[in-house]
Amino acid sequence: MTWLGRLLKRRRLERELDAELSDHLERQVADYVAAGMSEADARRRARLEFGGVERAKEDCRDARGTRLVDDLVQDVRYGWRVLRKSPTFTLVAITSLALGIGANSAIFTLVDALLLRSLPVREPARLVRLEDGSWTNPIWEEIRARQHQLFESAAACSDTRFDLASGGEADFAIGFWASGGFFDVVGVPAVLGRTLVPADDRRDGGPEGPVAVISYAFWQRRFGGSADVVGRSLALNGVPFTIVGVTPPGFFGPTVGRSFDVAAPIGMVDRVQTRDGQSWLDGRSTWWLEVLARLRPGQSVDEATRALRGVQPQIRQATLPSNWRPDELERYLLEGRFSLAPAATGFSDIRGRYERPLWTVMAVVVLVLLIACANLASLLLARANARQQELSSRLALGASRRRLMRQLLTESLLLALPGALIGLVLAQWGSRLLLGQIATREGIVSLDVSLHWRVLLFTAGMTLATTLLFGMAPALRAYRLSPHAAIQPQGRGMVGAGPKALGRPLVVAQVALSLVLVFGAGLFLRTFSRLAGRDLGLRQDPVLLVGLDAQRSAARPDERAALFSRVRDAAVALPGVAHAAVSVMAPVSGMGWNERFIVEGGTRLSGREQLSWVNAVTPGFFRTYGTPILAGRDFDARDRAGAPFVGLVNEAFARRFSGPGSPIGRVVLREGRPGSQHPPLEIVGLVKDSVYRSPRETMEPTIYLPIAQLEPSEAWPFATLAVSAAGGSPALLTRSVAAALQGADPQLSLTFQLFADQVRASVMQERIVALLSAFFGALAVLLAGIGLYGVTAYAVSRRRAEIGVRMALGADANGVVRLVLRGVAVLLGAGITIGAGISLWAARFVSSLLYGLEPRDPLTLAAAALALVAVGLLAAGLPARSAARIDPAEVLREG
Amino acid sequence: MPEPKSDLPQGTLDLLILKVVALGPLHGYAIAQRMQAMSRNVVQVQQGSLYPALHRLENRGLLAAEWKLSDTGREAKFYKLTAKGRGHLGAEEASWKRLTDAIGAILAGEADAGAP
Repeated sequence: MTWLGRLLKRRRLERELDAELSDHLERQVADYVAAGMSEADARRRARLEFGGVERAKEDCRDARGTRLVDDLVQDVRYGWRVLRKSPTFTLVAITSLALGIGANSAIFTLVDALLLRSLPVREPARLVRLEDGSWTNPIWEEIRARQHQLFESAAACSDTRFDLASGGEADFAIGFWASGGFFDVVGVPAVLGRTLVPADDRRDGGPEGPVAVISYAFWQRRFGGSADVVGRSLALNGVPFTIVGVTPPGFFGPTVGRSFDVAAPIGMVDRVQTRDGQSWLDGRSTWWLEVLARLRPGQSVDEATRALRGVQPQIRQATLPSNWRPDELERYLLEGRFSLAPAATGFSDIRGRYERPLWTVMAVVVLVLLIACANLASLLLARANARQQELSSRLALGASRRRLMRQLLTESLLLALPGALIGLVLAQWGSRLLLGQIATREGIVSLDVSLHWRVLLFTAGMTLATTLLFGMAPALRAYRLSPHAAIQPQGRGMVGAGPKALGRPLVVAQVALSLVLVFGAGLFLRTFSRLAGRDLGLRQDPVLLVGLDAQRSAARPDERAALFSRVRDAAVALPGVAHAAVSVMAPVSGMGWNERFIVEGGTRLSGREQLSWVNAVTPGFFRTYGTPILAGRDFDARDRAGAPFVGLVNEAFARRFSGPGSPIGRVVLREGRPGSQHPPLEIVGLVKDSVYRSPRETMEPTIYLPIAQLEPSEAWPFATLAVSAAGGSPALLTRSVAAALQGADPQLSLTFQLFADQVRASVMQERIVALLSAFFGALAVLLAGIGLYGVTAYAVSRRRAEIGVRMALGADANGVVRLVLRGVAVLLGAGITIGAGISLWAARFVSSLLYGLEPRDPLTLAAAALALVAVGLLAAGLPARSAARIDPAEVLREG
Repeated sequence: MPEPKSDLPQGTLDLLILKVVALGPLHGYAIAQRMQAMSRNVVQVQQGSLYPALHRLENRGLLAAEWKLSDTGREAKFYKLTAKGRGHLGAEEASWKRLTDAIGAILAGEADAGAP
């Protein structure tokens, strides 16, 4: 019989073993009887000669070689029976583990997807990125010309979006511009057709004309995965492209957290995206490309950087911007040494924004898991104490200590495995939920959060560590147990600190860690409530934002001001619209436009102090957003091109730039972008402060210019129409506004968003961190409460007799309650003291996530401590009251 | 007066079992009786330790077992030597012989050396 056969046919083997041994004894007895012995004597003699039957059986079982598995099965069965006997304990244990492990896996899934995972490309370790953001196409062309001399190869790309619709409401596809060699450099093949090749990347298209590659997801979504998609035509911003291939399903483009639908060669950019006669390809101060390189095998990042710096002077010289001032050119030549950085994990601005919050939440959930473990350890420990009788009986009956330890560890695993499985399910659900939350903020976040080996490994490691952590405590105690304990009467009367020795530090640790979490949750909640409740200086509820994209409009740059003015007039005329205005920047959009200014005769400022935010607006902007004009006037029809240049400033601008006194009538000099000249302008109005980019920022200096007075080179084709509803929800205006704008210019492409939603989205990160930390803080307190309750209830049960005697001697109920609570108060006090220490130390790590309060905020710490004291006394109060109800007569009779 | 009995040297129980079973299929009780008879009551085999040894040899494939109707009218488990077991027995016998010869020679030499 094979080993597996012996394992599976255990029952038959047992039957045969019984039969074989009893056959032996029967024959022996028969022989002795035949020799003249009495039946009883024969039986006695036979047994004596045979030796211990059970012992022989055990040895035979050992001979099968299946002992380990048999024991395991036995342990599991036994453990299952034990756990079923105390369903509350089992439920609490599995639930807290599931939440702990689930939370860890969920957050780790995001950490992994956003921060750790390599791009699904060939040998990602050899990919590097030309640091710090964006480069001009002339620079890229210089690098491209030298790519094989410097590296194995190089590529460039740039995120963009393409409008697939032919006017009216936009139908956006997420796209990126790729150099011809891009897919070859990153090592992504096509699953259908081909990817781009250098020949495609020519100005105005390669030999096959304008071609594009689409992603697998876009192929499925838009074309239903149809096999004849290669060769079909796709209009990008109205320009027809031929689809030549489909990329693999795992490839989401080079930017982490962004997916892509369509990739088109860089050479086509000027045909697809207008820049008012300026070329994206030739613009020497148009910074828009990411540059990537693939290192040669064995080439280090430093070597490659040195090689690139070797040719930096030539590259800079060959790409000098033509219209810059000499001092600007000097800076261009001397500053900004090229440097390369590993790009194996891709690049992302989302990563920068979410890195710290994610690690913070990760630390929070690790603490939660630790608390859950400590909780389980103390619960299991209390149970192990209660099971001391059973365990020492087993020791006395010959079970080995190792076997007992194994039994207890098996029970821990029986709790940990279901906990981990449920946790994994929770994690999948949770990480998707979280991602959904982030997605609303970022618009187009797409991360692969499906199960991944790293997540599995992480969860398995966590489970194992947890099991060992909380399984070991009772098991170690079992190891020290003496079989004598079974014979001694179960402890009655005074019990020393012994059994509680391990339980107390665990409860103290739980209280301490819970305090840290509650404190953190308090900080984040207060941060969020301050941000959400902050007066931004802007009315949010009645305002609808309409994104305007005039790239395909027939209006020339010098006609755009008139177009935006028409758009505004069309919106204002609609029924239900109170005010409307167009601005180049939408407030609280996270976008910014800043320049240097000097007020004649004002405060002398230097360097970055001269920077002020800028917005260009139509008349009615301040009324639409409900920002009061404190002095002077709003823009009106007089402020057109050719009229005297004017501007409005906010209070912060006046404070910093013009000093005391009214700013009205002061003259402002505008430095402008490199190479541009602006005439002086006069301040005609002062407005109340409002937030420019994000609610986290203070009220910063802002100057407003009339759109009509922008130079044609500044008249970007993008703007935002804000519509303020006269009453009711502004969302109801969407349809009529869309129709009205269609009338103003059918080629405008539009996007709609409620201003209130945009503001809410701008504090999404804070909201998520606050929600998560509040949830986990509450969970931690709950777990700590359960732990305290368990330890107190256990202590009370052990001291029943003592309490009974005290009551018999005249202690009253209040005295008993005080007696019990005194012990709890010591634990709580110790935990809170330690926790406060940790909190004050750890606070520094989250200071960048806070708004409007100090990281060591004493009020928050005090509130957190108070909350824990309340929960602790509540948790201990129940067993304390039951202690007070002990009937001394009954206790004395028991003995 | 009963003769003094020796304990079985380590590892020799298997060898004896194989030798006994080599004569033909036997059940456990018969093997125990036969071993006692063959060793002329010099060697003491604890009967309880016979069965684990039998099961071990069976699991190693040196013995094969079969349940057959026996003389008592009940089924009994009969062991017989497998081809593998026969080979093993031969090798063990040879090695045992070499060992006892060598020890015998040493003991004899010692006796010589110890003579006056």
